[in-house]
Amino acid sequence: MSSPDKPNVGDTLPPFVIDTVSPDAMRDWSVFLADPNPIHLDVEVVKAKGLGDKRINQGPINVAYMMNMLTTAFPGCRIESMDSRFLDNVYEGDRATASGEVTSVEGNRVSCDIKLEVDGRGTVNAGTATILI
Amino acid sequence: MEEFPPAPGVAGTSLDGTKNFTITAEENAALCKSTGVEPAADGTAHPIYYYIATQVAMGKTVAGVCETCEFDVDDGPMMGSSGVRFTEQLIVGQAYKVTGEILSLVRKKSRKLGVMDVLTYRLRLHPADGGDAVLETDNVWVLPRKELAA
Repeated sequence: MSSPDKPNVGDTLPPFVIDTVSPDAMRDWSVFLADPNPIHLDVEVVKAKGLGDKRINQGPINVAYMMNMLTTAFPGCRIESMDSRFLDNVYEGDRATASGEVTSVEGNRVSCDIKLEVDGRGTVNAGTATILI
Repeated sequence: MEEFPPAPGVAGTSLDGTKNFTITAEENAALCKSTGVEPAADGTAHPIYYYIATQVAMGKTVAGVCETCEFDVDDGPMMGSSGVRFTEQLIVGQAYKVTGEILSLVRKKSRKLGVMDVLTYRLRLHPADGGDAVLETDNVWVLPRKELAA
């Protein structure tokens, strides 16, 4: 990106990287969300349900990674709106990268395409966001 | 012509909450850390609380929403999409309340998942002491209907 203060259409935003998705965070989020779904907590349950052999990150955490990408790219910005689609699961141990590209700039309102990718499996979340800078 | 029965008629079901939700500084700090950032120094909370606050303080639990849709939560609801429109930032220490409703439950057949119900619901987060919503969120869940699989 040319400058965080003056974004231009087509600018790519600095990626926000989670080197290793943590099962400890999943445990914490089961409390935050008041939702003790065992697929986020117990590998044996994940296996029994035929969903793989690793715990599955809660979907809202993946959204939070993309929000972090935006607020890190534009310090002090405010997210006005955001929409994202859940395309695939994120698992414990995954390396996840949130990224974005500016699609429009109107005054202090910046719209972006956003996505979350994991190494080896591609895009797992994708959407759009509008922020006020 | 589809050969499965229609989804339960649950559109309009209220999801208004009965309890307040307050983002504590301690939990906000722990949540920020768990996602790889530091909490804001200006008293605003992480924006992902749009999802957390509305889910925790809506009038039904996740299992309860599923039950309303005649779906067993143990069969594994999946998030399809989530959208949010903020009019204000979320503030640590502010008490909020939730209003909302189920917008639709639509039965579909997909090549990947077989028969499924697509649930769309809308929640709003208001200051607990009154006033306009600070955000509105629409969430879509996919409820796989294994019992209707061919």
